[in-house]
Amino acid sequence: MIGLLNDFDWQRWRLVLIGGTIIGILVICALFAPWVAPYSPYDLDVVEMLQPPSAAHPLGTDELGRDLLSRTIYAARISMEVAFIAASVGLVFGTVIGIVAAYFGGFVDLVLMRFMELLFSFPAILLAVVLMASLGTSILNAMIAIGIVFIPGFARLSRAATEVVLREQYVESARAIGMSHRRIIFVEILPNILAPLLVEAAVAFSYAILLESALSFLGLGAQPPEASWGNMLNTGRGFMAQAPWLSIVPGAAIFLSVLGFNLIGDGLRDVLDPHMKE
Amino acid sequence: MSAEMIQLKNVGKVFGQRRIFGGSTEFAAVADVSLKVARGQTLGIVGESGSGKSTLLRMVLNLIHPTSGSIHIDGQNIAALTGRNEKAFRRKVQPIFQNPASSFNPRQSIGAILRAPLKVHGIGTPDSRRDRVSTLLERVGLPAEFADRHPHQLSGGQKQRVAIARAIILEPQIVLADEPTSALDVSVQAQVLELFRQTREEMGLTSIFVSHNLAVIRQVSDTVAVMRLGRIVETGTVDEIFANPKHEYTQALIAAVPDHGTIMAQT
Amino acid sequence: MTEPRAHALSAKPPTLRIRDLSIEFARRRGPDLRVVDQVSIDIWPGEIVGVIGESGSGKTLTSLATLKMLPKQARIAEGTMHLGETSLHDRTERQMRELRGDQIALIPQDAMQALNPTMRIGRQVGEPLELHSGYGQAQAMDSAQKLLKSVHIREPETRVREYPHQFSGGMQQRAMIAMGLALNPQLIIADEPTTALDVTVQAQILKLLREIRDREGASILFITHDLGVVAEICDWVYVMRHGRIVEEGALRKIFMAPQAEYTRQLLEATPSIHTVPGTRS
Repeated sequence: MIGLLNDFDWQRWRLVLIGGTIIGILVICALFAPWVAPYSPYDLDVVEMLQPPSAAHPLGTDELGRDLLSRTIYAARISMEVAFIAASVGLVFGTVIGIVAAYFGGFVDLVLMRFMELLFSFPAILLAVVLMASLGTSILNAMIAIGIVFIPGFARLSRAATEVVLREQYVESARAIGMSHRRIIFVEILPNILAPLLVEAAVAFSYAILLESALSFLGLGAQPPEASWGNMLNTGRGFMAQAPWLSIVPGAAIFLSVLGFNLIGDGLRDVLDPHMKE
Repeated sequence: MSAEMIQLKNVGKVFGQRRIFGGSTEFAAVADVSLKVARGQTLGIVGESGSGKSTLLRMVLNLIHPTSGSIHIDGQNIAALTGRNEKAFRRKVQPIFQNPASSFNPRQSIGAILRAPLKVHGIGTPDSRRDRVSTLLERVGLPAEFADRHPHQLSGGQKQRVAIARAIILEPQIVLADEPTSALDVSVQAQVLELFRQTREEMGLTSIFVSHNLAVIRQVSDTVAVMRLGRIVETGTVDEIFANPKHEYTQALIAAVPDHGTIMAQT
Repeated sequence: MTEPRAHALSAKPPTLRIRDLSIEFARRRGPDLRVVDQVSIDIWPGEIVGVIGESGSGKTLTSLATLKMLPKQARIAEGTMHLGETSLHDRTERQMRELRGDQIALIPQDAMQALNPTMRIGRQVGEPLELHSGYGQAQAMDSAQKLLKSVHIREPETRVREYPHQFSGGMQQRAMIAMGLALNPQLIIADEPTTALDVTVQAQILKLLREIRDREGASILFITHDLGVVAEICDWVYVMRHGRIVEEGALRKIFMAPQAEYTRQLLEATPSIHTVPGTRS
């Protein structure tokens, strides 16, 4: 065990560890929100409204006297959930589409990738807004909409990575021993294109948090009184002069989580790159 | 049972790319190739880059399909293979590819790579497959413990030994080799060629051996076909081709080989 | 060494003299790894000297060391190198840059990778002249045309305006040789210059290199793994293995009376089109 620790290459994993620590803290806060948060995020206290940070309320209170620290912690639940589900939707569907397009090629490739390009040509936020408008505003729909926004990116990446792997002789060897398409895709191709997809997934996480905040900011995501970093930021905007902490706190939370995921993404890129290995 | 194990009749392959807005570009990689390989014999196909020799081999492997002509393996037209027949064909015909670096899935152990053909064809139990892999590794001159290693832990020569093991694990009748030693150092090449020859004799394999290296072709072949720009320019027994080349291109090819044999012969 | 080298009797100093060269690689853990050990090589004017070895023998590192172009982790641990009268040992990177291309030219294995795909052939072939002789672009282009002609590229006046992808593999290698010849170097280092080529093209390139030696009187250090190629082109041969020179000698001696066990193994392992091994029935 001690030998294992000695062999561990801290230098290589440094970025992943820093990013992982930040995200780990946020995830723990989200999971254990009822125990971590000092107050309920919904308790109104009109007497205490717009209080600056103090001993009782470490990050101050909002315009309805709710504890800002508690609301930020509960909001982490929504952000993490949205990020996880949206990135997963994008990863799973995008990867499948990309592999299928590259593997079967020809007409299948043409149709799938043209459709992906169509999706890709819309600005992400506009696409999400249009989807939300047709699906209705709810946090679940926000996740699906953001997930759909991610599909073309993952599809392109997995298609390009698959094309590289398809040129390897081991895929040809697999066909020559009579392996089925399904088995070739899952055993020979998927494990060999996973590394770039995971890096992309980490970046998608951070982008999902930003998108959810933007949608909530526009009133399309989490609905009051539910707290999300985006709608907290939106509320804070009205009190910028009297109570700047209302904007700074959710802003900082968004910043930290985006930073955390990006560090993990960058770190994974280095760690998973086989050329960096000794 | 015919004497000819492999028979190609007027085989051609045209690669074309249709464009969305009409028009197309076409390129004949292989044109009008007819060849025969008798049971238990080895045909060497020699040619330079762009001669179509690898494309031809892939057609015999049924990985790509000819655009004209027909290929018969053991009397059966391989274009007509479906379902169960195709599986039987895969069992009978196995490839050895060129590049040791990309021949194996880097995420799998050597054991898993060698067990895959058995699994795909539903042969044996997990235990018996494991035993068979150990025996086979030893047969190609590698310790059985190599089953737990990953491809990047093996040298080029060791990888080609594993490639030979994978090719014979299904006990095929035909092995098709595409430049299996061209990426190796000469001393390793000599060992791998020796293993190839030995295996072929023990199992009575019929084989096609594709290479750009005339000296290697001379060592392993019974008959030789010289390819150039998609066509066969000359065929003959190995002695005919090397001692008495008829075609101008074959003569040029043999003359161009840098060779120490001439110095040795000057004594 | 049993037989004296004809050139050693001449009054001229060797073009390149390497003495006891050792190269070490820094490792993350453990002591430095010695990959070239006490190597001494002489190349006399007008001589083609072959260094033959398999992968990992240190032959390429030795050639890179003479240009001081070793990879970052590698360093010269000991030894001296002289180009003519000048010591390469204390030369700074900047001084080495003046030598490269001017007095020592490198012909690499893969011409396609060595040529810039976005630059016309003429500009690239004439580049050494722009860098070292202060030629203008038009003047360099003009010389490039002559150089392409000297390596037997047909219609050089139109070829100088083309891009690398319009050249075949053999013509790309000819262009690289033309670039190497631009400044009349005393020494040409050819690192497996024909390995990527078809045999018929290889034969032409080897012929060209011999012709250049005869015409320009340049010395050529020829790095290869192929005994057949050595037999075709070299006058004197060094056999390397695991970073050491195991044998040296005149071409005929190496092939007819090899002293080292390894040379004998190498000869035995190399298939020849003239001999069929006894193992075949």
